[in-house]
Amino acid sequence: MLIPAGDGLPSASQAAAANQGLDEVLGSLPETEVPSAALLDQLRGADPAEAIATLQTDDPAGFDLLCTVVAGAYFLNPEVRKAIGYPGQQAVPIVPEEPPDYEQDGLLASVIARGPIYRPTPMSS
Amino acid sequence: MVDVLIVGAGASGAVAAARLAQAGFSVVCLEQGDWPDYTRARAAFPDFELTSGRDWAWDPNVRGAAGDYPVDDSDSDITALMWNGVGGGTVVYAAHWQRNMPSDFRVRTLDGVADDWPLTYEDLEPFYVRVEKDWGVSGLAGDTAFPPGDGPPMPPVPLSKLGRAVARAHNRLGWHWWPGPNAIATRPYGRLHACLQRATCLWGCAEGAKATVDRTYWPVAVDRGVQLMTRARVKRLLMDPTGLVAGALYVDANGQDHELRAEITIVCANGIGTPRLLLLSADDRHPQGLANSSGLVGKRLMMHPFGTVVGLFDEDLDSWQGVWGQHIHSLEFYETDASRGFLRGAKWGLQPTGGPLSMTRSFPWGVENPIWGSDFPRKLRQRLGRSAMWGIIAEDLPDEANRVVLDPTRTDAFGIPAAKILYRLSDNSQQLVAFHQARARESLQAAGAYETVVAPFIRATGWHLLGTAMMGQDPARSVVDPWGRSHDVENLFIFDGSLWPTSSGMNPTATIAALALRNAEHLIEQRSSQRVAA
Repeated sequence: MLIPAGDGLPSASQAAAANQGLDEVLGSLPETEVPSAALLDQLRGADPAEAIATLQTDDPAGFDLLCTVVAGAYFLNPEVRKAIGYPGQQAVPIVPEEPPDYEQDGLLASVIARGPIYRPTPMSS
Repeated sequence: MVDVLIVGAGASGAVAAARLAQAGFSVVCLEQGDWPDYTRARAAFPDFELTSGRDWAWDPNVRGAAGDYPVDDSDSDITALMWNGVGGGTVVYAAHWQRNMPSDFRVRTLDGVADDWPLTYEDLEPFYVRVEKDWGVSGLAGDTAFPPGDGPPMPPVPLSKLGRAVARAHNRLGWHWWPGPNAIATRPYGRLHACLQRATCLWGCAEGAKATVDRTYWPVAVDRGVQLMTRARVKRLLMDPTGLVAGALYVDANGQDHELRAEITIVCANGIGTPRLLLLSADDRHPQGLANSSGLVGKRLMMHPFGTVVGLFDEDLDSWQGVWGQHIHSLEFYETDASRGFLRGAKWGLQPTGGPLSMTRSFPWGVENPIWGSDFPRKLRQRLGRSAMWGIIAEDLPDEANRVVLDPTRTDAFGIPAAKILYRLSDNSQQLVAFHQARARESLQAAGAYETVVAPFIRATGWHLLGTAMMGQDPARSVVDPWGRSHDVENLFIFDGSLWPTSSGMNPTATIAALALRNAEHLIEQRSSQRVAA
């Protein structure tokens, strides 16, 4: 219900977010295991759409936890990461010898040409 | 007995400790928290977005670490954020390195409200230059929003695709922008490694590229002989019979009390911790708290209302990468224009928006703009990598009703009264933020955003804790003199952001650090005439 399939992406259930992914999330966030289990017990057997809507209204913190766990598991799936083009927070070294692009194309020229925009310290100071 | 006791190992404490030790003072720093544990900085791991909010939480009430104390924020529009440990707020700051502008020091003279500072931009400028070299700052000299002069020692961070897009738009609009000044190393610099642009600055820099004082100043200070004691929480300052401060009573991690005697005491515990300690130090001779004959200790709390506007773009901007940090900044609307209906202004910093989990959060996207359900795949693709965000730091004017007091009921883990903050957003602040959000939307639209989102107001934005022990010339209207020395207790100093008479609309670390260096140098110069505890 939270993450359906579409636009080339699997649903959360197709991505096994409820199984292996959930275990991975709980491995990273063990403190969420007990409240997550209580939340799932609370939702079990209810109409999913109705239960989620009620949770969102009546228990925003519980809803946030559910979303974090489900989406967290979903985005840990390598197939999902590939599908959304997200490789993680990559190391991209800054190349210091490269001339800054704003010097190459004059991007800053108009800012400089405009001159100072600050109010100077009053002379009486 | 040591020459100087410093309470707090954040930005101002680190700068003061390193400089005083260099001048030959014996220095002990008592820090209630620990050194940061960078094994928890997991930028390179798939679960980074899951664990970062837990391990690098900004709110002490959420974090509940050994160095923290409760802050009752139930009567505050903004919650106070801080890091209680070696490095202080620099451990989790975004490293936006902003000098104040000349007008920030002359608010009363120029705009007819609040107060002037007892110093000018020109007084502080040499200390900005020096501290930027020691700190490790990147940026580009010549910013037209500041007087000419020396700039930071390292070249600025790359503009990135999103920075270039917005810069071109500002050129068309005729609006100011400049490559972002950041306390982020763009090449190896001293103890800092070069940034790898993982956009994880706010959650513990795993690379050691963000200039945090636990990595820069403290190793230098310790090498110079400073004794830095962690898990040492000051319960109260001690007074001698002559009315001088004689050091501190502190409690260690095992709950054992100790006295540390010092000739001079400098409090650097942030805009909440500092007034809390002064109020905790009340005695028969100082029933309102130490250094509080003016009645201003704890008052005039300023926390910078924060605005955020996000733009969605067709093109791929790689917007989970880069620094975080600011790619560019704009001070186009910083100066007062009374025709806008409010006074003062704000600084904008252009930032990335994060990885996929960040795309699902109610901030900055808004609860009225949910991602869940049938729209999830489309909205995720719209947001991830294709969004840019202006962060708006709004000046809030001082108001004595906004204040820090001792909590009448709650205590910390050692039975010491907790802090309570009372803070309300003023009409001026609300108008100011609304104006800047509207202009920031125009900026992003001009840069090609097909949709913009004004983030909902959230309380958890009180990164900057300022003004609660104001400096000034008049002992009746200020807590300390222009050099951070208490008007009431002449060997007691305050060097942190509590000093600020007005908040500016800038990220404050640059000015906190420069002021700490200036004040430390003045203390050194006055050493021979300084009365000290015996």
